[in-house]
Parts: sequence; C-alpha cells; structure tokens
Amino acid sequence: MNAVKQKDLILYSGLIILGLAAPFLFSAFKVQLTYLCVLIVLAMTWNLQGGEMGYNSFGNILFYGLGMYLTSSVQVGMFFPLAEWTESGGEKTFVHTTAQYFQGIGVGLIVAAIIPTIVAGAIGYAILGLRGHYFAICTLGLGIAAGEIAGGIEIIGAGQGFTTPPFPAEIVDPEARGQFFYFLSFLVLVLAFVFVKYIYGSRFRLILNAIRDNEDKAEAMGIQTMKYKIVGWMCSAFFCGLAGGIMGGLIGYIDSTDVAFDGREMGVFMVLMAILGGKGTLWGPIIGATLFHFLKEGLWTFILGWQYVALGVLIVVIVVYFPEGLMGWLREKYPERFGEVIDEKDRKAQVELK
Amino acid sequence: MNKIVKLFITSISAITLALVSFTSSFAKVDGEYIVLGSAISLTGKYSSNGVHTQNGYNMAVDRINKMGGVKVGGKSYKFEIIYYDDESNPKRAAQLAERLIKQDGVHYMLGPYSSGLTKAIAPVTEKYKIPMVEANGASRSLFTKGYKYLFAVLSPANQYLEVAIDLAVEKNGGKPVRIAQAFEQDAFSQDVRLGILDAAKRTGSEIIIDDKLPKELNDMAATLAKVKATKPDVLVVSGHTKGALTAIRQISEMKVDVPMLAMTHCDAAKLSKQHGKNSEYALCASQWHKNLSYKDKFFGSGKKYDKDFKKEFGYAPPYQSAESSAALLVFKDAFERANSFDRDKVRDALVDTEMQTFYGNIKFGPGGQNVAKPMILFQVRCKGDTCENKVVAPTKWASDKFYHPIPKWSERG
Repeated sequence: MNAVKQKDLILYSGLIILGLAAPFLFSAFKVQLTYLCVLIVLAMTWNLQGGEMGYNSFGNILFYGLGMYLTSSVQVGMFFPLAEWTESGGEKTFVHTTAQYFQGIGVGLIVAAIIPTIVAGAIGYAILGLRGHYFAICTLGLGIAAGEIAGGIEIIGAGQGFTTPPFPAEIVDPEARGQFFYFLSFLVLVLAFVFVKYIYGSRFRLILNAIRDNEDKAEAMGIQTMKYKIVGWMCSAFFCGLAGGIMGGLIGYIDSTDVAFDGREMGVFMVLMAILGGKGTLWGPIIGATLFHFLKEGLWTFILGWQYVALGVLIVVIVVYFPEGLMGWLREKYPERFGEVIDEKDRKAQVELK
Repeated sequence: MNKIVKLFITSISAITLALVSFTSSFAKVDGEYIVLGSAISLTGKYSSNGVHTQNGYNMAVDRINKMGGVKVGGKSYKFEIIYYDDESNPKRAAQLAERLIKQDGVHYMLGPYSSGLTKAIAPVTEKYKIPMVEANGASRSLFTKGYKYLFAVLSPANQYLEVAIDLAVEKNGGKPVRIAQAFEQDAFSQDVRLGILDAAKRTGSEIIIDDKLPKELNDMAATLAKVKATKPDVLVVSGHTKGALTAIRQISEMKVDVPMLAMTHCDAAKLSKQHGKNSEYALCASQWHKNLSYKDKFFGSGKKYDKDFKKEFGYAPPYQSAESSAALLVFKDAFERANSFDRDKVRDALVDTEMQTFYGNIKFGPGGQNVAKPMILFQVRCKGDTCENKVVAPTKWASDKFYHPIPKWSERG
C-alpha cells in the first residue's frame, strides 16, 4: 500500500511541476494550455454525473455561461455602472486600475462559483426526478434557453455581447496576461482534481454509483437518492462556474450563444471528452480532454473547413470501437495493470459457457 | 494503472516538445514575403460572408504581388496570408488570433468577418500591439473602446440604414413615419438598430414593432404577421445574409405589403439572383457599389474590379469582398510610407492614411473607423426577369430614381 502511495506522490509532484513550468517551457502555447486546463475541469466534473451517477447532462454549460457572465459583471459592476459599460454602442469606456482588475476578478470568481451552485441546487430539485433520456433532453433545453434569455438582457450587453475588462495596461509585459490566466486555470484544475479524487475515495461515490446501477434499489436500500443527485450536480456547477469565469476573462468578449452558453461546442465537448477517455474513471476524462485538445489543435488547422466532419467521424469511431472510452478499452485489454486479478481458469470457463 | 498514465504523460510531453520546436520558425517577414494573419469564417453561420472576405483578400494579394509588390527599404516584398477557420465563433477567433501572433509569429493582422468576431480579436491584437486593418467589423462599439491598433476601412454599422429613414420621411412629405423593425441578436445588427433609433428620434418617427431575431435565422413569420396587421410605413430588417434571404422569402410567401423595405446584406446574399422578382424594390445599405466613381491604380475602377472578380471567382463581388481587397491596399500604402517593418512605425503610418481606392476614400478617425466614405443605398430593380442593384442614394452617384412606394403584391406581375 505504501509503495503505491509513494508512486502516486512521484506522479502527482511530477505533474504539478510540469504544470507550473509549462507556461515558461511552452511560452507560445500558454493560451492553449489554459484552454486545456479548463477543458479537463469541465470533463472531470461532467464525469461526476455522466460517468458516476449515470445522468447524462448537457446542461452543465448553463453553469459555465452563468459563471462567465457573473465574473465579468461583478468585475465591472464593483467599480463602474454596469449598464453604462454594456450600453449598446459603448460610448463610455472605463479603465480598471491594476488593483481594481484583480480585486474584481477575484470577487467575480467567488460569485461565479457560488451562484451557479445555488442555481444547480434549485434546478436540480426541479428536474432531477427525470431519468435517462428525459433528463438529457431537459438539460439540453436548459443550455439553449439560457443562451436565448441572456441574448435579451440589456444590462449584460444582450445581442451586442459583453466586452470584459481589458488586462490592466500598467502591466506592460505582454506575457503577464497569459500567465495570469494559465495559473488561475491550473489552480482550479488542481482544486477540481483534489476534490474529485477525494470523492473517489468516499462513500459518496459509492452512492452515486448505486444510483447509476439501479436507482430504485438504491432508494429501497434507504439512500435518499434525490439529495445525493442534487449535491452531485452542485459540485459540478461549482467548478463549471469557475471555469466559465476564467474563460470569460481570457477570451475578452462574451457572446450569449457562441461564447457563454455555447452548448453546441463546449457543451458537447465536455461530454465527448469524458466518453473518449472513459467515463466513470478518475483519469479517463483527463486523458480524453488532453487527447481531444491535442487532436483539435493539431489536426484541425490542416483540414480547414472539414474539421466538423472529422469531429463527427471521431464521435462515430469512439462510440463504435471504444464505447467504454480509452480507459475502459485499456482496462479490458490489460486488466492486471489496473490491479484486477483474473483467474485464468475462471476466464476460460466463462468463455466455454458462452 | 500508473504505468499507463506515465506512458501517456511521456508521450504528451514528447508531442509538446515537438510542437515547441516548430514555433518561431515563421516570422513577420519571411524572405521576400510579408506575412499577414487572419482568422476567417470558413464554416458556421458566417461561412458565405467569410468566403467573400477571403476572396477579397486573395484577389488583392495576387494583384499587388503581380504589380510589383510592396517596396520597403528599396526592396520589393510580396504579401502572404496565413488563414485559420474561426468557425464563426468569437471564442475560437480570439484563440486563433493568439495562435497567429504567438505561434506563427505574425506581426500584422487582417480582420475576420463580422463585428462580433472583430470584437473578440481586437483585445488580443491590442495587447500584443499588432496593427490590424479590418474590413468587416462595423459595430460602433469597436471604435469607442480606445483601441490604438485597430483600423477599419468601412463605415460604422449605425450609419447603414439611417439614411433610409430620412428617405422615408422625405417621401412622406417630411412627416414622421411608423417604423417596423426586426434585428438579429448580434453585435452588427444591434448597431444598425441603434442607428435607426437615432434616426427615429431625430425625425420624430414612431417605432411600432421592435423585434429580435435569433442567430440561426430561418423564420420571421411572427414579425411579418404583425407587419401585416399594423401596416407600418417602413420595414427594416438586418440579420446578415440569412436575414436578407429569409425576409424576402417570407415576405413574398406571405404577400406582405409594405411601402418601403430596407435591409442589409442584399448583395452578399445575391438577392437579385436568388429571389429575382420577389426581391424587387428592396432598399439595401451597402458600403460599396461598382458604379461609384472611385479609382486606384491596382484595380482601376469599381466596374473593372467587378469584372476581374467575376472572372476569377465566378460571381459578382459583394461589398464584403471589395472592402476586404481595400484593406490590403491600405496595408501596402502604410508599409511603403513607413518604409519599415517596425510595428509601431507601420501603425503610425496607418494613422496618417489618406488615400483613394476603387472602394472609396480612406482616412481613419481617432477611433480607427473610416471617416472619409459615405454609405450608399441601392434598390433592386428588374427588367423582365433580370434584376439588378441600382444606386439610389446619395444623389451624387444615383443611377436611378428611388421607387416608392412598393406596389402591392396583388398589383405585381
């Protein structure tokens, strides 16, 4: 047991060092690395419902978009009249001082974590009674509705979009902005990982699994499934909100349907990444997100105009050949490496039985 | 499990290292080439206008390169553009701008298509102090943010249809009119709306319908039903290419009678070709028309540009292509006047731009918008089955008289 832990320790410290050194080693790729961190957070937290609880949610994008709008609104609203900032035409331009910018984004991110969590609780209470496809479709609607509603709210820019505060001009180093957002996203990634890892070792995960495997039986065993389902979703919402807040600041411009409540891209990607890596595993979503991001950044520019066709093919290939994801596939191929002991005789006997 | 994870991490590090060694092999000036970067919508909802933009850029690059290139420091350079597909998505556009600048080493940018995407890219180019000449971001808020490296060859969006309201009031004997309007929920169309609101206030006109249209625009029957019931004097619609096509399709299907129909993007949507007689009498705002009398030595006149463009790409150039071509003329002019590849010198030269192109006069205001060129209005007119866009305002270039009011559907053959 101790030996395994030591191995883990080496792995984790290695990863953290790599993560901390990455923006300096691959300076030109800082923004891509930030995206990667955010994608991993989204995939990992989606996995809590989709993988562990068996509730395929397309609605996590709601919390992501909410976090994005909240962070920027707070960041502006703390110091300047928000309505004038977002007023169509933007006749007035306010400039954040360095201190205001960082205070604003700090408070904004806290709000962006808390409010989506509360919203998840409220919505969850209303819709987590739905199961299977009904739940999936309902959450799909949530994301789309949110985008359309946000596109009509004047104070956050409506259809004009919301230009988030520019990085303070007093910091002249053009690398600083990229580094700031990278470390912010890396911090959230580490937090999310520690949290998910903790859940993986807890009774909570077993309850989520029980809900996935047979909700009625779980209920009959005396588990208050509704409570746990809501708490599970709230956990995801917390991190989705943070991820959205960071992305808003990084992109610099929030559009209601294309950037914030971007169900067609981010909303689908987070599901795809988790499935690609293997849902219901700790490392699956991480590997899936990393692989997906590399494929996307590496290949897509070479097949200009055809990238969505390629994405479609990728989805088909995953579903047909790796229904359990990469981790699931590896686990089936090399069960010993996953610490599963297989009795050769038993396996043969099973094959014969078939 | 750990072994697999480790193996995976090692392979990722290897790939990343390989990628790192790739970077910075490009540069702002690569041998005899000046490398420009642009994120363009080749897929997604702006794909048709994205292609118009790209064709405009390519046409100008070819022409300038063929006619001696750009002379800097006594040496002749050629233009080259690195394109990425931004998928009509602002998030992707911002990421690609970063990629063009940081990874491909681009020092000069050309704009994307649409105001929304330009809004997403401008903070990035501004941060790295990269001069960007853009031809397709007309939203007024782009020019009030104090951007120093953003230059637009086109007139701001709020000017698009203001003139149309003035025209309607004039036709109404100077009395205020009743306006019905429907605008897509995006940065550009919402700015066109602001222009109308200003014009309505100025003329004392009343806005009786003020609808918002969704981004994936395929249906506006609800608005048209209201128009049928309330009979406004003017109907204003703006929603890029899809908006123009949807409006004409449903107006003709529902036989909506309105005395005046003002729109944007008619030429990009090839309205007169796609909908023929159904699109007749539509009044359209445009940045450019081939009949205007501007000239330059690269493309000659507007008519010649129209002819050359048709030969090269097989369709008449919409203004999106013309303004995109003009962006490269502006860059060439600025490079030669700066006589340097220093970004700040090029930027200062851009500030001092004062030139005529086939597309119009170009001089940048303090916010970076072009202040030397008026908008024009044309009306679709048909002779038999062939329909054409005829300039009706301003009077200096008007080739035809503005036809008003639009005859009722029952009277149209």
